[in-house]
Amino acid sequence: MRGFGYLIKEGVKSVWNNRMMSAASIGVLVSCLLITGAAMLVSLNVRSVVEQVGKDNQITVFLTEDVDELTAIQKVGPEIRRLDNISACEFYSKDEAIVEWQNELGPLFGELQGEENPLPNAFHVTMVDLSQYADTVANIKGVEGVDIISDRSDVAKRLTDLDRLVTQVGLWLVAALAIISLFIISNSVRMTMYSRRFEISIMKSVGATNHFVRTPFVIEGIVLGILSGVIASVIIAFLYEAMISAVKYIVPINEIPYSELSTQMTIGFILFGMVVGATGALISIGRYLNMEGGEILGW
Amino acid sequence: MIQFKNVSKVYPNGTRALNKVNISIEKGEFVFIVGASGAGKSTFLKLIMKEEQPSSGTIFINGINTTEMKRRKVPYLRRTMGIVFQDFRLIDKMTVFDNVAFAMRVIGARPRAVKKRVHYILGLVGLKDKAKSRPAELSGGEQQRVSLARALVNNPTLIIADEPTGNIDPEMSFEIIELLNEINKQGTTIIVVTHEHELVQKFKNRVIEIQDGEVISDTGAATEKADVPIEISEDALAQIPEEIAEEIPDVSSEELNKEALQAIVDGEAAEE
Repeated sequence: MRGFGYLIKEGVKSVWNNRMMSAASIGVLVSCLLITGAAMLVSLNVRSVVEQVGKDNQITVFLTEDVDELTAIQKVGPEIRRLDNISACEFYSKDEAIVEWQNELGPLFGELQGEENPLPNAFHVTMVDLSQYADTVANIKGVEGVDIISDRSDVAKRLTDLDRLVTQVGLWLVAALAIISLFIISNSVRMTMYSRRFEISIMKSVGATNHFVRTPFVIEGIVLGILSGVIASVIIAFLYEAMISAVKYIVPINEIPYSELSTQMTIGFILFGMVVGATGALISIGRYLNMEGGEILGW
Repeated sequence: MIQFKNVSKVYPNGTRALNKVNISIEKGEFVFIVGASGAGKSTFLKLIMKEEQPSSGTIFINGINTTEMKRRKVPYLRRTMGIVFQDFRLIDKMTVFDNVAFAMRVIGARPRAVKKRVHYILGLVGLKDKAKSRPAELSGGEQQRVSLARALVNNPTLIIADEPTGNIDPEMSFEIIELLNEINKQGTTIIVVTHEHELVQKFKNRVIEIQDGEVISDTGAATEKADVPIEISEDALAQIPEEIAEEIPDVSSEELNKEALQAIVDGEAAEE
């Protein structure tokens, strides 16, 4: 399109000419992006931790008293291994268990050897995906000879709940802030339009198309979005490092290195900013495009 | 060129601005529209520019029924017109050059064509030396000439001037109308709205008087205006740089105008 360079120049110039309102728009949009980014990073890390816990997590499957060692190894073990979501299944005999108890709790259990041992035989089972815990446990319970299963899902459950909470709260916050950003940006563009209403009325009187009148303002919104995206990307890189150091001080975790996320985060921030910026601008423009001459100038 | 057939305009508040008006203005005419304040003169101009829609009747501009014209095609209609306002409507932060160039830029003219054409037009209205000045540094008469240059720059077939002498002294007013007369001699249709009867009497042009929304008198077309050769004042010519003067036939934006008219006729308002 002819004159597109002129339109871009006008849009960019307008960000500077209207700098107070631009700064306010950028401030709100950066806050919105930071909260979105933080929620996303927390969620990604929680998922990574859940995955890690899943890998390490073992459950103990206790067998009924009538299942002896040979039956357990030859029949029950292979049946458990055949089920879905099982990565390992190791036999844990009642003799090993009582020795462990004695080591931990002292000679009180010294009498409970051989025939007197009240503990059942068991298996240590590791799952592939801990989020399928309930289904897997139900399947294991269906195996003949299985009595009870130790409930060690609490950690995973808490982490999964935390992830869900972070995602939900994050989504609401992002939605609320996106609406606020839209409002602020549309107001910023509306102020620019108001201050340039004289030019708009002249533009229309000399035959500028609505597309031509609209473009600089949409570009202004997009520029505000891009600037916000870039600023938020830089801030979140520093925040992430600081946050991870603080968390690691309390709980040792294997965090996702920011270098693995930086490209997607930056592109995502800029795109989000551009969409919010352009939409905010488009919201304000309609009013002036439907006006003519003196009406635009409020006469 | 312009035909009003039984045109009435009633505003939403009930004000009847025009009542069954029939006016026909031919190509190349110079017409004064006179009448008291509130007579309906401005509404008449707004209807030509399609800033307003008539309540009834039909309006033809260059053979096109503008009452049925789609909104997205209006910009292309306006590109065939140049508008001069009483309050000049110049942008203070822009230089004289940029104010005139603005009208070309908004219709997507190329920078090189803008540069040549604006210098030429500023020479034509005698403001070549003021290209870098700001409107606030100019007299009222000069500002109105800038406004006229902006109206002329896209080579319109019609110039509409709404009280162009309302904010300038009598001597300057005479000069502005003289300049419009010169432009008219090149074939451009001119419509001037004014309430200055003295000024109207000095020029032997067609006068249409509107009162209470009705045409109460029309002197009819002025005689022997059509074949007057193109004349540009010597002062104006002297201000046009030689290299630009040589290129004047090439820098005309007639091409733009043809494109605009073509877009209206063919409905090629693709940009929308």
